[in-house]
Amino acid sequence: MCTCGDVRHGPEVRERRLAELRASRRTVLTAASGLAFSSAVAATAGSAAAGEAGRVKGAEDLRCYVLVVDGCRPDEIDSGLTPNLRALREQGMYWPRATSMPVMETIPNHVMMMTGVRPDRSGVPANAIYDRELGEVRTMDLPSDIKVPTVIERLNRRGLTTGTVLSKEYLVGIFGERATHRWEPELYIPVSEHAPDLLTYNALTSMVDELDPHLVFVNLGDIDRVGHTDITGTTLRVMRQAALLQTDTLVGQFIDSLKSSGRWEKSIVIVLADHSMDWSVPTNVISLQAPLEADPLLEGKFVIGDNGGADLVYWTGPARERERAIVRIREIAESTPGVLKAWDRRAPWLRLGPEAGDVVVFCQAGWRFSDPDPVTSNPIPGNHGHPATRAIPFFIGGGHPVVKAGKVSPKHARTVDVAPTIADFFGLRTGKRAYDGKSRL
Amino acid sequence: MTEKPQSTTESHLPRRTVLATGAAGAAVALAAGGGAPATATTTASATASARTRHEVFQHGVASGDPLPDAVVLWTRVTPTPDATPGSGRGPKVRVGWEVATDRRFRRVVRRGRFVTSAGRDHTVKLDARGLEPERWYWFRFTALGRTSPVGRTRTAPAADATPANLRLGLASCSNLPAGLFAAYRGLAERSDLHAIVHLGDYLYESGSSDVRAHEPDREIVTLADYRQRHGQYKTDPDLQAAHASAPWIVTWDDHEVTNDSWAEGAENHDATEGDYAKRRARAHRAYDEWMPCRMDGTARLDDGTRLYRRLRFGTLAELSMLDLRTYRDEQISQVGTDTGVDDPGRTITGEEQMGWLLEGLQQDRAQWKLVGTSVMFSPLKVAALPRDVVAAVNTLAPLLPQDGVYANADQWDGYTADRRTVVDHLAGQGVQDTVFLTGDIHSAWAIEVPTDVGSYPLSPTAGVEFVCTSVTSGNLKDALGTPSRSPVNLAAEQAILTANPHIKYLNFDDHGFSVLDVTAERTQCDWFVIGSRTDPATPITWTRSFATLTGTSTVQEVDAPVGG
Repeated sequence: MCTCGDVRHGPEVRERRLAELRASRRTVLTAASGLAFSSAVAATAGSAAAGEAGRVKGAEDLRCYVLVVDGCRPDEIDSGLTPNLRALREQGMYWPRATSMPVMETIPNHVMMMTGVRPDRSGVPANAIYDRELGEVRTMDLPSDIKVPTVIERLNRRGLTTGTVLSKEYLVGIFGERATHRWEPELYIPVSEHAPDLLTYNALTSMVDELDPHLVFVNLGDIDRVGHTDITGTTLRVMRQAALLQTDTLVGQFIDSLKSSGRWEKSIVIVLADHSMDWSVPTNVISLQAPLEADPLLEGKFVIGDNGGADLVYWTGPARERERAIVRIREIAESTPGVLKAWDRRAPWLRLGPEAGDVVVFCQAGWRFSDPDPVTSNPIPGNHGHPATRAIPFFIGGGHPVVKAGKVSPKHARTVDVAPTIADFFGLRTGKRAYDGKSRL
Repeated sequence: MTEKPQSTTESHLPRRTVLATGAAGAAVALAAGGGAPATATTTASATASARTRHEVFQHGVASGDPLPDAVVLWTRVTPTPDATPGSGRGPKVRVGWEVATDRRFRRVVRRGRFVTSAGRDHTVKLDARGLEPERWYWFRFTALGRTSPVGRTRTAPAADATPANLRLGLASCSNLPAGLFAAYRGLAERSDLHAIVHLGDYLYESGSSDVRAHEPDREIVTLADYRQRHGQYKTDPDLQAAHASAPWIVTWDDHEVTNDSWAEGAENHDATEGDYAKRRARAHRAYDEWMPCRMDGTARLDDGTRLYRRLRFGTLAELSMLDLRTYRDEQISQVGTDTGVDDPGRTITGEEQMGWLLEGLQQDRAQWKLVGTSVMFSPLKVAALPRDVVAAVNTLAPLLPQDGVYANADQWDGYTADRRTVVDHLAGQGVQDTVFLTGDIHSAWAIEVPTDVGSYPLSPTAGVEFVCTSVTSGNLKDALGTPSRSPVNLAAEQAILTANPHIKYLNFDDHGFSVLDVTAERTQCDWFVIGSRTDPATPITWTRSFATLTGTSTVQEVDAPVGG
């Protein structure tokens, strides 16, 4: 499940976050549209100061828009419900084999998009982690959770302006003050903790029209949020389909606005999802809390971070027993119905880093985790985080000549490719090891 | 698929229970331009300078299993008139081979020598290496002063290449007595096929005679029998032309040994025919000698008979060719509702091959995951209920097979636990763009592979399946004696389609071949049919085409075949 910050924040975390916000320098701009944007002081002064590395020749005229259609499945682009997205895909460059990266959750994949590195470098492996320092499970929504510079900051240092229009509260939290201009919704829908796409769209168009950042990073949350709660998800997906129609219409309007404003010819529009979505029936729920607790070795010495389709299990007992405990956790998890695989978090392919705990457990398609409580922790049918939700749409449209219309590539594009693609587009010099992803231009 | 021999007689040739290998088979590759021209001479008992008067290359040339830098080359020499396949007669022969980038061999890039003998039935099979990826080549052999027909072959794209497309011919079930191989002519006449995939039942074991007569005229059992049968098939001009036109990628089904075979026996094998393991070993030996494939990863003959293998075509596709006969458990005997088909202890792949298959079905390996399966993967049902309903009923007693009342327990329907493992893997790992390529059932099908057949189409699909029809082997029209597309046949098709809504296309009547075209956007299958199995000049026409768009795991009909 997409965990919501409020229910898992301890007072220390709240205080730390408030301190971070107080320490930041920002001002609030009220745009002509009436929407409020937070902007860096330098930018509001209109100087868009070039950083120490100086401007990139020609980059001033470029525009890049990253539209994250949160939770969209790639097959939904072919469903007939998204004609605008499909047209954008067909007129642009398309990577049908694209995937999200572990853990297939919103926060880590948005961070991978903007950092270009895997969680063992970014420090953000999942939505919900057990914070050993705090001693509790929390959402990764602090600006300090990201340990490396994002491409947003790289562009800022080159004197280019950036914007974030993020519909989810925890995304607003983790990206913090990084962008030159930020839309921070004043109102979130209760429970889902996200702003509706119509509001997000209004913020996006206002920011583009009035502040015109070189890069805008956008999260459209409706498809994901509706998908989570769609009780017809295993079959008809009635609510989901309505959300697809609505979001697609807004994307179409945004593309039209780029064309009518003359921005299209200098723009690329990167469209992708952070993960896809899988639905489970009420009987297909896994709760590892009880079976792990029943084991004498593990009793009282573990904590689970529930991420919907993935459980992160943290050993909290003595270090000398860690290896034995990892073996036991994996054994118990893999003997539990609905579990696909329990990995030692140190498995090289995962690249999740120590924040992800000791054992990473994935569920099978059509299942979900609910931990620690088998009933209340995760009652929603739509989930992601497990490998079944890896496939994502990933395509690049736009009128800039770098976009080769109709190109379809069998190569494996990933969320982690977005930052190097942006850097490449704006001509930022990037060392070979700077990114784990690859430019798709 | 069951195709009972129409007549059998006892073997008149001595049975050989020990496989002859001999010392021959060593290949020496020389870089082009180095050393003397690769003229071929006999050794030992044959006269070096004599130019034979009989035809030395009677069985054509072939190539197969393309890699980015290598391809298997194949031929057979007949050093003396009596050195017929399976005869065990004839001297050692040194054979020259060369590979060129032009059909006139002005630019030879690789050449070498190969020594063959009666110990390997005078077959020549070698790996030509050092080639460039994604390139057409021409090859030929020389021996005893004769030059073979020229074959054309093509290497696979480099592992990280992004080829615009991959185009494959598909064929299966070529029973020689049942008719002429016009379908192979159709494949040979195309110049756009990067490879031809044969999905099994390349030859049949019976001694039957119909349009043509099998040689020998009895069920084949001995190594000599199998060699003779392979030799007969490879004298067919249409088959020779198809082998010479493009590299082949083959797997066997049951008839390459005998009908409805499994790990330790076969429906068409009894004690009077000796030990089954030995019979199979002879069949596999002959197959290794006569087919342009790598078994156990090499072109050598004496290093194992593992046929399942994977071929990569850049980042666009990987083709996993399965062996579904060597490791499977025996078919259940009571077809229909026997829940033994669900026994998780029974397997069609064997544990090792299943692990290997799943390893290949990963999203980060290649975009399209093509699986060559000799028997149908998808459920073919009389009736099916949702899985949770079946599970509920079976809490009372094991009354219902998980995937419904099945029609043919020789295909994956008879081993539902293995199929469930594959489907769960595809769904659980988020694997997209899996296409099963199938033969065996002598008919043409386009299918969406359901994750739960009982709740399809409300539940997701795991991939698609394209089944090519038979080259000649009998189908419904032949069995009923009805004209093609007669009302009775169409009614039978409609009954199947109605009971199996995941099946989108079915043609029970026609023989022919298919063409599969793979691009990053979609994979399309075109079905071509022949007019008559007895007319050498029978027309070959396109009938229907279906495609699956990337990411959809569904099929839809398209208006036209890809270019020829």
